[in-house]
Amino acid sequence: MSGNSFDIIACGDDALRILCGPGDVRHSLAERLAGDPSWNEIVPGKQDVTIAFNPYTYTMTKAREKLQHALHTGLTHSVTRGRDHVLAAEFGGEAGPDLAQLAERLDMRVETLLEKVEQSPLKVDMLGFTPGFAYLTGLDPTLQANRLDHPRSRVPAGSIGLISGQIGLYALDGPGGWPIIGRVVSPLFDRCLTEPFVLKAGDSVKLRPAVSPQ
Amino acid sequence: MISVLEPGLQTTIQAGPRSGLRHAGVPASGPADAVSMALANRLVGKTPAAACLEITYGAASFRFSSACQIGLAGAEAQVTVGSRAAQMHATLEVAAGEVVAIRPVRMGARIYLSVGGRIEAEDILGSESTYLPAGFGGHGGRTLRKGDELVIAAAKPVPAATTPASLRLSPSSSYALRAVAGPDLSDEAGFDWEASFRVSSRLSRMGAEIDGLFPMQASGLSPSSAVFPGALQVTPQGRGFLLLADGQTTGGYPHLLQVIRADRHLLGQLRPGDRIRFLHTSQARAEEALRAKQALLQSWMPEFRL
Repeated sequence: MSGNSFDIIACGDDALRILCGPGDVRHSLAERLAGDPSWNEIVPGKQDVTIAFNPYTYTMTKAREKLQHALHTGLTHSVTRGRDHVLAAEFGGEAGPDLAQLAERLDMRVETLLEKVEQSPLKVDMLGFTPGFAYLTGLDPTLQANRLDHPRSRVPAGSIGLISGQIGLYALDGPGGWPIIGRVVSPLFDRCLTEPFVLKAGDSVKLRPAVSPQ
Repeated sequence: MISVLEPGLQTTIQAGPRSGLRHAGVPASGPADAVSMALANRLVGKTPAAACLEITYGAASFRFSSACQIGLAGAEAQVTVGSRAAQMHATLEVAAGEVVAIRPVRMGARIYLSVGGRIEAEDILGSESTYLPAGFGGHGGRTLRKGDELVIAAAKPVPAATTPASLRLSPSSSYALRAVAGPDLSDEAGFDWEASFRVSSRLSRMGAEIDGLFPMQASGLSPSSAVFPGALQVTPQGRGFLLLADGQTTGGYPHLLQVIRADRHLLGQLRPGDRIRFLHTSQARAEEALRAKQALLQSWMPEFRL
């Protein structure tokens, strides 16, 4: 079995970056490395995975050797599949204040826009920016939108943002610069859990309209 | 109980950093200057990461409802306990009903006030530290306000201590920060290591904007990668941005330099107008610097890790 020969570069004096390119390999790498307590942080980016090591356990040379060894022992051969989520959401109105204007700008009916969102096979590409904020790729390419000219200082937890090619899910209340089209009904963050954020990088997501109670 | 009479510009409860959650977008938080916080805790016999008050620029006062020991470290300011002038870097005895008043800080930015008993704080995601942007941790996830009351557990007094002079922060308005090349500095010769930079007024627990001349080929937005406290990024406006304790977990601006782990605690003392130079440091020197500073601090605080 051949191992992987990704380049590993320094990221400061106590972190290393594996240049593994975009795609699922980042998520399976991150998941497998997570089992090793030598690594303080394992952070997937858009095209890489960065690992902060404990400088009291390893020098950078030793950490690099250990990482190279892990890559060469076929670490990435088993591609772990993320979980599948179907998230019910309210669209438009107070939950999605930018939906109507966005549809108008795209010259399509709100129903058409939402159909395209619901049919998009979304995937959590990475989390970042603020706690639990999930960048989802796989959005229908005809849905083109820019960031807001004036970011909001506070958008509610669960809000669904949309910019070209991506959906952003806000796990917590916080500042937000993406047009908001709706809000996921169930919480994306539970402070009592060991993994308090519902979504993980590599997970698949489908958005569905919430069924309103009769 | 501690009553907040004057909170100053920004006082928060900080404890240890959050760790192992950056992949979920959760920043470290914790003290902007971890060494000063640990020194304050040491004066009252507490572990380095015990919850403390982080007071920005001083100008704050607190009333203690019961007798208590306190310790102060960090930026220098005049302090009074009741009507007595008091010293930083030494265990102080506060009587029931007395007011601890901290004058404005003249150099540096943050003072840490540790108290003998445990400060009640919200423990979330593995730490009691306040993270203001998401509003969690510490005291209701926010800065302290006039009239706030903090619950303090009773504690046995410890023998009085004085911080060794060699470990105290030397007040300064000019910093030489040791740094290694960041992942986006393609050519180490491309950075002017002799250049002097200035801290702008855009400064928070998330980061400090730095004015000066940065290599322009570096500006632009690239696919996001992980960033950590101590990262120097260059914004599209050609300014530098140095990440602090609350710094975001990922970023797309070029990551030019990384202040070495041994010197990151100094970033918490930067204030607007301060001058900065970055000292070109090799990986071997960075590791040696960490060993040396760690050994010095550990002799006084065995549990402390930079």
